[in-house]
Amino acid sequence: MAFWVTPIPNGSARANFDKGTAELHVRNICVFDAFAVSNSLTPTHPLGNIAGAVIESLDLKWSGVTRSIIGFSDPVNQFSGDFFETSAAIMVTAKTKKSTGHGFQFVSSATTTVNFAQFGRETNGKFF
Amino acid sequence: MHISRRNFVWSSAGIASAGFVLDSTLSKPVLADDDNHRECAAQPQPIPHTIATPFGTTIHHFFPGPVEGVDPVTGHDPSEIFDFSGVVAQADLLLTGEGTDLNTGDSAPYDFHADMRFMSGNFRGADGETHRGAFAFI
Repeated sequence: MAFWVTPIPNGSARANFDKGTAELHVRNICVFDAFAVSNSLTPTHPLGNIAGAVIESLDLKWSGVTRSIIGFSDPVNQFSGDFFETSAAIMVTAKTKKSTGHGFQFVSSATTTVNFAQFGRETNGKFF
Repeated sequence: MHISRRNFVWSSAGIASAGFVLDSTLSKPVLADDDNHRECAAQPQPIPHTIATPFGTTIHHFFPGPVEGVDPVTGHDPSEIFDFSGVVAQADLLLTGEGTDLNTGDSAPYDFHADMRFMSGNFRGADGETHRGAFAFI
């Protein structure tokens, strides 16, 4: 099973390699709120309480290419492609419904520290 | 005023994978009725690389970093799915904002660390067939 991956509508994510930008825009993605990383990764879920949550809106943009890695290939991990390291900016609103007893809402501000960001075109596995 | 800290995006995304399990369970009665057959989204396959977590589980994942790799578990393939050809993007971010406890109405500054990605293109699903689709790691 792919780790922490959820399907999103086609067209939600795209890149413009000529402009050096990429974007992810999703609305109302249903997820669960396990409150902590450890809960998500522990089969027994020690808190025993997982609440339904919604990523109401998520807008993430990559831009400002700082390094280009063209024609990269890694036979050990079986992937190759062209990659562009960038900056990024995000706006997100997420909510866990009040009816769960753990109602919580987060609204991000404009301040984001980018530890690392990149986008690219790649092939892996059978397409490598 | 205190709001218990939640690593919200990390945690909520974590259960997105559990959502697959729930979906497959719920779909059985529907699939049993051919007349009402519902097309289920193809599920992608994980990358083969694994990391042992401190919680006794194993995940298919590389931590964010350059494709050349920083160490055996950091960098390398940014995709979470295997047998994939398309566009990929990842961002390792420190978010700030405001968190509100909807049960008490208390609000406070809130921040968390998030690793977010998308993969959009062609992939070979767990069914062995090639599909086109998009996925988010959130």
